[in-house]
Amino acid sequence: MEAVIPDVVFKIFGLAITETVVSTWVMMALIIGGALLVRKFKPAAGEFIIEFVNSIVGSVMPEGIVVSKYIAILGSLAVYLLFANIFSIFPLMLSPTANINTTIALSVVVFFAVHIYGILEKGLWGYIKDFANPIFILPLEIVSQFSRTLSLSVRLFGNILSTDLIVAIVFSLVPFILPLPLAALGMLTGVLQAYIYTVLASLYIASAVEIQEMEQERRNLKREISQST
Amino acid sequence: MWELDSQTLITVLTILGATIGIVLGCIVPAIMEGIAVQKALDGIARQPDAANDLRTTLLISMALLESTAIYVLLVILVLLFANPILDRFF
Repeated sequence: MEAVIPDVVFKIFGLAITETVVSTWVMMALIIGGALLVRKFKPAAGEFIIEFVNSIVGSVMPEGIVVSKYIAILGSLAVYLLFANIFSIFPLMLSPTANINTTIALSVVVFFAVHIYGILEKGLWGYIKDFANPIFILPLEIVSQFSRTLSLSVRLFGNILSTDLIVAIVFSLVPFILPLPLAALGMLTGVLQAYIYTVLASLYIASAVEIQEMEQERRNLKREISQST
Repeated sequence: MWELDSQTLITVLTILGATIGIVLGCIVPAIMEGIAVQKALDGIARQPDAANDLRTTLLISMALLESTAIYVLLVILVLLFANPILDRFF
């Protein structure tokens, strides 16, 4: 039970501050300190991380979309998840993403980002027109918007919580050497899930921003290429 | 037969159901992921140039496939730790 629902550390004005929030504060301090260090010394590792996020997003988004416009939110997501998913290897800390409230909040952020970027790119009426094109697909589209938000949050939460639980159970049985490979597996899963979350978020943003005519042009180009060869 | 009060009966049935559910919910996605990996490896062996595209698609689809197993795990966690039926008796 204590593995699934985190303990309350203290209360501010009746607002319960759980272990998850305290872990997130520690993580925020680490990330902000790291960001200041990177800004001051400009090491090669910082450049590597930025290049990595840029290549992930650039590989998913189709041509013709300015990637640098969306790199702020997607890069923040990638860095946050990269730290959050493997944060339970530090003693006394919990992974913030092993709590379903965190992942639902992240998915709601992605949900609103998709629609706001779509409206900013195409205008309100153009976005609605592309959204319901053809018109009978509108109910399916609305259902898929909500189900993808739910599945994003539940996937991340389930993966991180399950690996943390496995490590905790094995640790309570054999607290010597045996939990180590499982913790390594948990770190691998965490990095993979951070990658997948970022890729899916950029896919959703790309599908909202992409203009239909552009897609049509791309299709025509492909057909020409396939005919000429 | 045994004389069980309803609380014990519900607990036993919950544990049985959770065990059977997690077994089935792990077997089916594992088989399907195996099929996906097999096809992807076939594709890479046939066309090594397409390995990068295939790897990205494989990772994403593996995550989507695995999320069904995660849903089963979630339901079972609710059954074991926050059972809505058992709560009526406490």
